[in-house]
Amino acid sequence: MARSIVALAIMLFPQYTRADLPLHERIDRAIESALEGPPAAPASDAEFLRRAYLDLAGMVPTSTEARVFLDDPSPYKRERLIDTLLSGPRFARRMRDVFDVAWMERLPDKYVPSAAWRAFLLRAFQENRPYDQIVREVLSADGTDPATRPAAKFLLDREADANNLTRDMGRMFLGRDMQCAQCHDHPLIDDYKQAHYYGLFAFVSRTTLYDQPGAGKVLAEKGEGDVTFTSVFKKKITNATGPRLLDGPAIAEPAIAKGQEYFVGPKEKARTVPAFSRRAQLPNALLTTDVSAFDRAIANRLWSVLMGRGLVHPLELDHSGNPPSHPELLDDLTRSIKAMKYDMRAFLREVALTRAYQRSSEPRPEASDSQMEPSRYAVAPLRKLSPEQLGWSVMQALGFVEASRRGAEDRYLTRDPKMRDILETTVGKRQRAELLEAAVEDQLAGNLGPFIQRFAAAPGQPQDAGDPTVHQALFLANGEPIQSWLNPSGVNLTARLNALTDPGAIGEELYLSILSRRPAEEERAEVAQHLKDRDKDKGPAIKELAWALLSSAEFRFNH
Amino acid sequence: MKRCSHACGSAEHLTSRRQFLGTVAAGVGAASGLGTFVRPLVADELTRQERQVLVVWLAGGASQLETWDPKPGTDTGGPFRSIETSVPGTRISELMPLTAKQMHRIALVRGLNTKENDHGKGHYMMHTGRPQMPGVVYPHLGSIAAKYVTPETSPLPGYIHITPGGGGLSSADAAFLGPKYGALHLGNGQPPANTVRPASLNDLGASAREAVFQHANDRFAKRRRTAETEAYTSTFEQAKQLMARREVFDVTKEPERDFDRYGRHDFGRHCLLARRLLDAGVTFVQVTHSNYDTHNENFDFHLEQVGEFDQGFATLLEDLGASGRLQHTLVIVMSEFGRTPKINPWYGRDHWGNAWSIALAGVGITAGNVVGKTNANGTAVVDREVGAGHLFHTYMKALGLDTKESVDVNGQDFFLADPSATHIPELLA
Repeated sequence: MARSIVALAIMLFPQYTRADLPLHERIDRAIESALEGPPAAPASDAEFLRRAYLDLAGMVPTSTEARVFLDDPSPYKRERLIDTLLSGPRFARRMRDVFDVAWMERLPDKYVPSAAWRAFLLRAFQENRPYDQIVREVLSADGTDPATRPAAKFLLDREADANNLTRDMGRMFLGRDMQCAQCHDHPLIDDYKQAHYYGLFAFVSRTTLYDQPGAGKVLAEKGEGDVTFTSVFKKKITNATGPRLLDGPAIAEPAIAKGQEYFVGPKEKARTVPAFSRRAQLPNALLTTDVSAFDRAIANRLWSVLMGRGLVHPLELDHSGNPPSHPELLDDLTRSIKAMKYDMRAFLREVALTRAYQRSSEPRPEASDSQMEPSRYAVAPLRKLSPEQLGWSVMQALGFVEASRRGAEDRYLTRDPKMRDILETTVGKRQRAELLEAAVEDQLAGNLGPFIQRFAAAPGQPQDAGDPTVHQALFLANGEPIQSWLNPSGVNLTARLNALTDPGAIGEELYLSILSRRPAEEERAEVAQHLKDRDKDKGPAIKELAWALLSSAEFRFNH
Repeated sequence: MKRCSHACGSAEHLTSRRQFLGTVAAGVGAASGLGTFVRPLVADELTRQERQVLVVWLAGGASQLETWDPKPGTDTGGPFRSIETSVPGTRISELMPLTAKQMHRIALVRGLNTKENDHGKGHYMMHTGRPQMPGVVYPHLGSIAAKYVTPETSPLPGYIHITPGGGGLSSADAAFLGPKYGALHLGNGQPPANTVRPASLNDLGASAREAVFQHANDRFAKRRRTAETEAYTSTFEQAKQLMARREVFDVTKEPERDFDRYGRHDFGRHCLLARRLLDAGVTFVQVTHSNYDTHNENFDFHLEQVGEFDQGFATLLEDLGASGRLQHTLVIVMSEFGRTPKINPWYGRDHWGNAWSIALAGVGITAGNVVGKTNANGTAVVDREVGAGHLFHTYMKALGLDTKESVDVNGQDFFLADPSATHIPELLA
């Protein structure tokens, strides 16, 4: 019924379904027209608040932030919160973590330290650098210039290995895992041809590692060497290819006379520099020719950052046998990200504004399993917090992030008059927030280690999969640093709760701090009863309550 | 048909595991209700003895010439002699007199050619049955056993690795099977981390916080339909059971005289701990003995190292045999590679993957057997050459696992065992 009405609307008023409508409205129409029944109710303010903070700031809000939002009567508060978070200092950090994990998959450092690479990503997201530009920087850096060397991690740490790079560039930039097309056309996926594999391969097959004295490993490139390939099923036929992106045109290569292949040749005992660099053609091939795979891949990835799964799912298997759940929507998103000049912040804003993003994670009781199937986006999914989200959220919930921020504020604003002068007169509000956030991160990021160690998938493996483990539970139940963090100190959560006497106030502060919502009646009563049962042991009782909520499924998932 | 790849410990997964093991009666589909299949599974659980695995990893690359394939009196043979064993006609190095008496329980593979001389790549190959390739990582045998043999309900981790080094959980071994099936390292035999309740928490506090935790989870799960919350909360139940059984990891509870029998050195103690873990029902136990990378003074090193190995290993094998546990336990003694027949100027032997040996015992293995042969001075395989892939298929067969099993990873199927290899029929009973 709903579907036919929308179809009718499209027939009668095509103009309203196209560019006249904002993207978020187009998204909702596409999603809603494909629903089989009514979707889940809109998320409550508290559900939305927690979700938005986790997705756009990488951690839960403080109890104060939660209170302010929940008590704000404005009908525009959700939109305002999205904008506040997108322009806040944590958004860039959240995106840095997302793209670091997506592109480096927690692989151990080889030639470029992770800290430098992450600083590069952070800067890029702080400046809201367009996606195409970031990719261009990543694929262009050769490691020789200290200023751009961090961006070269993608190529250098993969040892400039052409097969490794072909696979990962295909997966990460084109949404196509073509590994199985290395030795023959993909056996199960008709769209993935061996020629695609080697066309991409040819951009990097001449690239090698060179040990530059004083600089470490850098990229060099040969001026010769052609790519031929043979299918293991048709061994008699040898194919040749130059650099070529999927079914796009072959990259034009200048005719180079024999003996003129190099600026710096292999005999000079230096980094070889070819007269014509095939690798240098790669960013242009990706970005200037009309390869919608590149745009589709980033549109799909950004969608999945907020929606928990790609329209094409898994993200790396975009092909006709695995069609998107909403093909026209993905086409629209693909066109939109390009039309938005790859502004990721603006794109995510549109997705965050949708009714689809702002649905409850509680299905309607009468809804069938098929109506609630995840690819319909009829109900918000449960998503495990990433190790970084979990670590930061634990620190936030227990009051350590806020304490650290206040400490930095105190250092900068109260005790250092010169610094205060600079902060209050010369730099803007945003830079001030950024400075404080950097101080918080300096102080607390080291605590993420145990969380990453236990909650991350193995390096190179899909990072969002994996069953929960008993070792995670043991860590949460008995391990450090959490047990120490539960001890009252300074202005942390348990210290604040100990200072309160009214059980109702304790319950409210506890729930707002950890679960970003006020307790229900039953939960208030439970807190009061727990405190009453253990009236001789208020301190331990408060720790127990805090631990229970912090370890609960409600905290573990983004819902 | 794509397999279900999401994380949950639901009963459906139990069935698929059982179907995979071939023990569920035909006609029990995953679609049937809980009541119809849980009961037969439980009954099956009780009657069937789970298979177990013991791997002794001789790190660095033990010399086949000073262990399983001695060549005394040749230009490559070195100073040690060979001795008779409990299997007439089979001789091994004199450095292993106790193991020689257990030879009737052991099968040797003497025609191993892995063509791999790199520590890291050899390690990967021997644990996964495949050469290392960029871009894709396969799970170790231990992780496969933890996923496909260990019952979902087991309170103990399925894959435990006793190492001389540091402890902790290594999810890398599990590759795409997921961290749950990673190796739990017991560094120098110490119990796993975080298995003791915080000192500040008394019994009352512990049960109080658990009650609140439980209520919170129930309230959250009530309004949502997902196996994920259940999988998450069940790990806390598992943690409790593991903590209750913490003594399983405490080797000091073993009788004093066994410490003498196994040898009063780290490896002896670790072998005794391995026995304790296997007795407790842990599916896969690996013990690492380090270090055999003898580029210098190969013979002095092997004299000492193999001596320790011989005592710990032979005693463990004898005990497993005597207790009957060997009937359902697969035993593998291996390294990343062997060592060069050629003795270098420093009396050392270098890395050598071209003609070397491993030893097997236990379930599914033809005891007393020798498969494969090297030439007179051990420089080449002359009969029944096999590689790591063949061994891997053989291990899986011995464990009753399907060598054609594949796993859906992000929409693509990956075979657990290299499809280009097959098992070694002569080795299998």
